[in-house]
Amino acid sequence: MVEPVIAAREVDFWYGQFQALRGVSLDIMDDEVTAMIGPSGCGKSTFLKLLNRMNDFVPGARLAGEILLRGQSIYGPEADPVDIRRRVGMVFQRPNPFPKSIYDNICYGPRLVGIRKAAELDVVAEKALRAAALWDEVKDLLGKSAMELSGGQQQRVCIARALALEPDILLMDEPTSALDPIATAKVEDWIREAGMTIVIVTHNMQQAARISDRTAFFYMGELAEYGPTMELFTSPKETRTENYITGRFG
Amino acid sequence: MIFGYATAARKRRDALAMWVVRAMAGLTLATMALVLIYVAVNGLSAVSWDFLSQFPRDGLTKGGIWPAVFGTLGLALGSMCVSIPLGFGAAIYLAEYAKPGPLVTGIRLGVANLAGVPSVVFGLFGLSLFVALFGFGRSLLSGCLTLGLLTLPTVVAAAEESLRQTPASFREAALALGANRWQAIRQVILPAALPGMLTGAILALGRAAGETAPIIFTAATAFSPALPDTVFAEVMALPTHIYNLAANGSRIAETRPQQFGTSLVLLALVLGLSLAATIIRAKLRRGRKW
Amino acid sequence: MTADAAKPEASRRDVEPPAAERTTQAVAEPASVAPAGQPPVERPFVALRPRLSPAEKGSRLFFLVCAVAAMGQMLLIMVFLFGEAAGLFLGQDGQPGVSLRDFFLSEDWYPTYDPPAFGALALLAGSLSVTVCSTLLAGPLGLGLAVYLACVAGPRTREWVKPAVELLAAVPSVVLGLVGMAAVAPFLQNVLNLPTGLNVLNASLILTIMATPTVASLGEDALTAVPKDIQDASYALGATRWETIWKVTVPAALGGLSTAVILGLGRSLGETLVVLMVAGGAAHIPLSVFDSVRPLTSTLAAEMGETAIGGRHYQALFALGALLFVMTLAFNLLAWRLSRRWRSGR
Repeated sequence: MVEPVIAAREVDFWYGQFQALRGVSLDIMDDEVTAMIGPSGCGKSTFLKLLNRMNDFVPGARLAGEILLRGQSIYGPEADPVDIRRRVGMVFQRPNPFPKSIYDNICYGPRLVGIRKAAELDVVAEKALRAAALWDEVKDLLGKSAMELSGGQQQRVCIARALALEPDILLMDEPTSALDPIATAKVEDWIREAGMTIVIVTHNMQQAARISDRTAFFYMGELAEYGPTMELFTSPKETRTENYITGRFG
Repeated sequence: MIFGYATAARKRRDALAMWVVRAMAGLTLATMALVLIYVAVNGLSAVSWDFLSQFPRDGLTKGGIWPAVFGTLGLALGSMCVSIPLGFGAAIYLAEYAKPGPLVTGIRLGVANLAGVPSVVFGLFGLSLFVALFGFGRSLLSGCLTLGLLTLPTVVAAAEESLRQTPASFREAALALGANRWQAIRQVILPAALPGMLTGAILALGRAAGETAPIIFTAATAFSPALPDTVFAEVMALPTHIYNLAANGSRIAETRPQQFGTSLVLLALVLGLSLAATIIRAKLRRGRKW
Repeated sequence: MTADAAKPEASRRDVEPPAAERTTQAVAEPASVAPAGQPPVERPFVALRPRLSPAEKGSRLFFLVCAVAAMGQMLLIMVFLFGEAAGLFLGQDGQPGVSLRDFFLSEDWYPTYDPPAFGALALLAGSLSVTVCSTLLAGPLGLGLAVYLACVAGPRTREWVKPAVELLAAVPSVVLGLVGMAAVAPFLQNVLNLPTGLNVLNASLILTIMATPTVASLGEDALTAVPKDIQDASYALGATRWETIWKVTVPAALGGLSTAVILGLGRSLGETLVVLMVAGGAAHIPLSVFDSVRPLTSTLAAEMGETAIGGRHYQALFALGALLFVMTLAFNLLAWRLSRRWRSGR
């Protein structure tokens, strides 16, 4: 059997007294796009942020169970959250470039890990921008502030910025919710053709159907159903899933 | 038409009230403008290059105010050396690290109340701590420390506000790229917030330059024949110079032109700094893309 | 979600709990925290905490020290003020202490006589007289200006006038004091035929000029913070502009407006140079606004230069400073409470 990139085992999660996740177990496989869908407040974003320990900053956050990244526990005593975040990239809901040049945005992560030489950084930046399919659009504007780009370009700068660290996996938290349809299509095209492991949270079921290989349906903090996208959308096993995808609630 | 009755009366009352408010505002603003114009008109005749660049002569009745200009600049800039590191540090703690609790409430309460402590009380504090206990004497150093503490609340409040206005997404993005908290603050949040923080510091600088009471006790002398050569020397300052000429001297009427001239210089310095800060702040707000 | 499912996991952690010092903190009581109505959770869990590297701990500590120093300064001020003042009341060098009764209830302030008299009542009355008179003027004028800026002036006017008002708040008080001496005093003396123009009225007028921008600026903030929708609701019910301001906007902003007036009052009370220059300096209880007075602040500024550090007079001046400090602190705390209640009320 192939080892999953990420394996969650019976994960419970609380914000203070509120239990946000109950007994979630799922495997995320190499080079697949996994979509997470479900009504608002179902825990899909919470689960995503557990994968790179962004919930550490929430006061009163507690976790039971285990999450493994390539077989190693990311909440175990040996785990280093900073290192995990370098290996697990993340793209947020709203484009959030730093108020710096495009080049400095892309090089932010590589500089953190100690790459200082301009020649090396140039290579890294070009590679990341090419990987994000943005190179041809911005190669002459690298010194320009990233804040001056359009929203869609900003979001792809954020993708390139995450890719510059060559992460094992990329988490995307509703990455197109603040974008117009054309910019959304470009990001979706990129996701389909990236050929890397991506976990994407979306509230848009069509988007999940268009771009993902597997889909996880969260409901009330539980993983209600998880399987190949085609199966989940055409023949859901659970009535909760069926109700959701046919628009009966949420 | 029961609901429409007295509409005309209500409209008249509305118009009347609006004019009363406008008149009050106009009166207030006009009075203040008059005060500034009065100082400017009376001071302009005294101000010249010699007035700015020469030492006072003949028992302060002639000559210029150069040592007072120098002293005030020294005191104001020196006070920033105290309030900027301490104030920015405190603001970073409050905005980036602090979690709600009794300690943070205490800090906020302390800083907020510090802003309301009369400046003369700061003068007493500086006198007993820096001048007497630490033995710095009446000196530039004691004055800078006292004014630095006096302007601290202004610096903290402006810096914290500026830090809070940087979007949380900058922080999140840096952390998600594997930065630790301190790296996120230093590399992303501070560069974005710094212009706003410095604007607050400029406002504080203006305030420090215009303060009189604290430096009467801690730093000021009525006359010095030379510029201070150490930080332990007494200095002249513009506000105390005005006070000494106008209220303490023996030739009050005779030195009126110097009094207004010095006032105009001080006013230009203080309002110039405040105006600069206001303009920079407005530009920052307009130019901000987040 | 069952406890059984996590058994292997649980036993491993029981043997080897997560190293608290490195990444996450192990917490001992797992059971009692389940939400009400749910079966208690019996699995071990980790509380997530951001991990701090040594460099981060250092920087965090530095910032904490700065913040605590900023707060500690307040305490330090109190220690020094009350410490020096205590000497006056406790007595030293064989001299008896001044009783609190004499300090607060005697009008006699003769610090350099032999024996000296340290009665602060006349000085307190001087402070209160100019503060009350100037607040009676600066309160309405400042609030009027605030209403004008927030509710009446057009956006273009406002864009210019608001910064101008804030700028006026920065005018050094010594300059205003000079104007009071050189212009207002002769005017009052000639027009009203008084023995001196340096009196309560003059000081109050100059303090009004100084405090009005403060009141206006803070008041405007309070008025603009009133939610637009309740004002729209008033207009939609057929209210005129003035009726909306008077019956909706001003009542909704009342907490902030009172804070503005109180802070303006605090500024007048603590102001030194204006009263030092134009209040006249006579230490007696004023009977009319044309009397000269000697407020607490001007007594401090005028006499501190003549005292020996640590002497009786020096201590007496610190006692005046402490009294001033307590009064302004009370006003500030009141303003802080009012503004908090007002903010939490929405």
